[in-house]
Amino acid sequence: MTGMRKRVTVGFLSIVCLLFFSGMVSFIELSRLSRDTGEILGANQRNIELAREMLDAVHAQNVAMVRRSVFGDRSYDSLCRAGVDRLEEALLTAQEEALDKSSLDSLAFATTELRVMTDNFLASGADASAEAPAAALPADSLRRSGADSLGSRWYNETYEAQYDKLISAINNYMTSAQGSLAPRAERMKTNAYRAVTPVLISLVVMIAIVLMLYYFILVYCVSPVERMNKGLENYLLFRMPFTVKGELKDEMLTLKEKIESLINLTKQSK
Amino acid sequence: MRIDVVLRYVGIVMLFIAAFMLVSAGISCVSGMDSAFYPLLLSALLTILLGAFPLIFVGRSDQISTKEGFCIVVGSWLVACVVGMFPYLIWGGEFSLVNAWFESVSGFTTTGASILTDVEILPRGLQFWRFSTTWIGGMGVVMFALVVLPTMGRSKMTLSSLELSSLARDNYRYRAQMIVHVLLVVYVGLTALSTVMLKLSGMNWFDSLCHAMSACATSGFSTKNASVAYFNSPLIETVLIVTMGIAGMHFGLIYATVTGKRNNVFRSEVTRWYVGILLGCSALIAVSLYAAEIYPTLTSSFRHAAFQFFTLMTTTGFASADSSVWPPFAIVLLMFGSIVCACAGSTTGGMKVNRLVLAGKMIRTQLQRQQHPNAVLRVKLDGILQEDGVIHGVMIFIVTYMLAILAGTVFATMCGVDLMTSFSGTIACLGNVGPGFGEVYSMGNYAAIPSAVKFFFSFLMLLGRLEIFGLIQLFFMKWWR
Repeated sequence: MTGMRKRVTVGFLSIVCLLFFSGMVSFIELSRLSRDTGEILGANQRNIELAREMLDAVHAQNVAMVRRSVFGDRSYDSLCRAGVDRLEEALLTAQEEALDKSSLDSLAFATTELRVMTDNFLASGADASAEAPAAALPADSLRRSGADSLGSRWYNETYEAQYDKLISAINNYMTSAQGSLAPRAERMKTNAYRAVTPVLISLVVMIAIVLMLYYFILVYCVSPVERMNKGLENYLLFRMPFTVKGELKDEMLTLKEKIESLINLTKQSK
Repeated sequence: MRIDVVLRYVGIVMLFIAAFMLVSAGISCVSGMDSAFYPLLLSALLTILLGAFPLIFVGRSDQISTKEGFCIVVGSWLVACVVGMFPYLIWGGEFSLVNAWFESVSGFTTTGASILTDVEILPRGLQFWRFSTTWIGGMGVVMFALVVLPTMGRSKMTLSSLELSSLARDNYRYRAQMIVHVLLVVYVGLTALSTVMLKLSGMNWFDSLCHAMSACATSGFSTKNASVAYFNSPLIETVLIVTMGIAGMHFGLIYATVTGKRNNVFRSEVTRWYVGILLGCSALIAVSLYAAEIYPTLTSSFRHAAFQFFTLMTTTGFASADSSVWPPFAIVLLMFGSIVCACAGSTTGGMKVNRLVLAGKMIRTQLQRQQHPNAVLRVKLDGILQEDGVIHGVMIFIVTYMLAILAGTVFATMCGVDLMTSFSGTIACLGNVGPGFGEVYSMGNYAAIPSAVKFFFSFLMLLGRLEIFGLIQLFFMKWWR
């Protein structure tokens, strides 16, 4: 490529590169933004689902435990165990998926306590309601109370407190999990800023380059053509010597020299 | 005027700045690809594109007119400040558009005023970029343009005439291309020496380099929120005092002293005044601090007084103590130092000791003239007879400087800033000092200042860096033939 063609090509290529570059930056950052938004929404929804599953499991286990401890209905033994199993399963899933695992510590502890309490109760109270709470209640409590009311007393004094503790831990998990989404939302905000700023700066640079290109094309292409045109016009109309004001470069200089040669040839042929 | 030629040389300066961005990105990469890598790399690419573009079209030019030289210098400063804020803007954090502009201008004009409430949160790459801007600014963007300018002789002198005050040029006694050599040797040498000394004093390499760059450029940026007070080391403060003191002297004279020339710092009347003011005022402040029982001993009073006065008079702006709680007498002396500043021909801003000495001599001459109306009295500085034009220029500069302080104070107070902050902030920004008093005290920053005032203060920094008339001239280009 020769001088002027090369310069104009490089000039336009710079603009193309800048356009491509700013487009790519926008694309990458916006993709990241989209992914983060999806992740936040997904995590939020999953958190609600898991918390709901835990609450359902605890509720089912509670109903079964009332039947078993207060009414002495042994057919609910399996339901009691199934409730805890369901809770543990949901907890395990939550632990695998959680961003901040420390928020699940109290819930895990409360679940383990419930598991131990349930197992002890079911193991010790398998054949008689009077013996059932022996493992869970202190000895003096047992001495003070009658055997028939022991099941309901155990439920009221021991199990219900544990149940409340568990519900509270699940609620804490819900709120803390929602809270842990805040840094991700903040990162999303930063990503949005980072997606916009480089593009804006690229646009400013591009405007500056376009203005420079306009100026250079004017100075190095348009203006010499105009000056040569003026020189030719003067020669043709008034037979003035062909002169071009100012400095010329590249193809314009060659063109000027060729015009001068042409004029000289014309003069010689006359 | 050939705008294309101006664009070419401004472009070269931008390529130089881009090189420093790449170095900062490299530091970011070495520091475990911190969050500044991407903004710095991106900014470097954009700056390279912007700087290289004019080079595609415009060839080298052997002769540059005064007007073109002026435009290259002012254009380089302005464009450097604009591209300098790219990394800040892309990185985000505390850097809004106004804040990024303020920080960039503050860096390139070697003011050292910051809008950052927490400097230590910045990743290493961005920290280094902050110090790079100030180091580039210290040498003067124009000096870099001179280094890369392929032309020799007259064009170089044309460019330097704006950046260096006319008083500084009188003292050089070197050929134009020699000035570049002198500046590079002194500047780079002082930075290297200071880095090693600071390292030996207990800083780590990164902090040593950054503080040395800052001290040599008389900027005042620090890697710590508490500035130099963080290190609480008399040894570090001593090294910095010496570095700042030397950086405030005429670079040509430093070079002459090191190379054993006759025209050296010991024979310079201005340097004697400069050192005298530094030591005298430090002693006076120390006595006032001791008398007010701010510090328990005279030694500790002198330690903090000397550091604070050196840092303000050399327009550096480090902080070893909270000077806003000092007695009014000490504060007045510190403000005096912030207005007078150091010697012409150094990287410092402000009014310069040279002008103060000349003004004093003119007052003395005026008194003598009243006593002896027929006497022929001339003003001499360093044994050189000063022309009327120079004396006239000095007086106009001093008056304009005072008017600028007044205008800045009025504007800032108009925007709701308190009087002390407005007044001291204007002095600090116009003189490229950095910290002032009030909200912008030595341990504070410019974060709480309204955006309009931040923008105005950054304009004052540029005004001060370009010796006031350099920037004003830009608005009257139309009439420049």
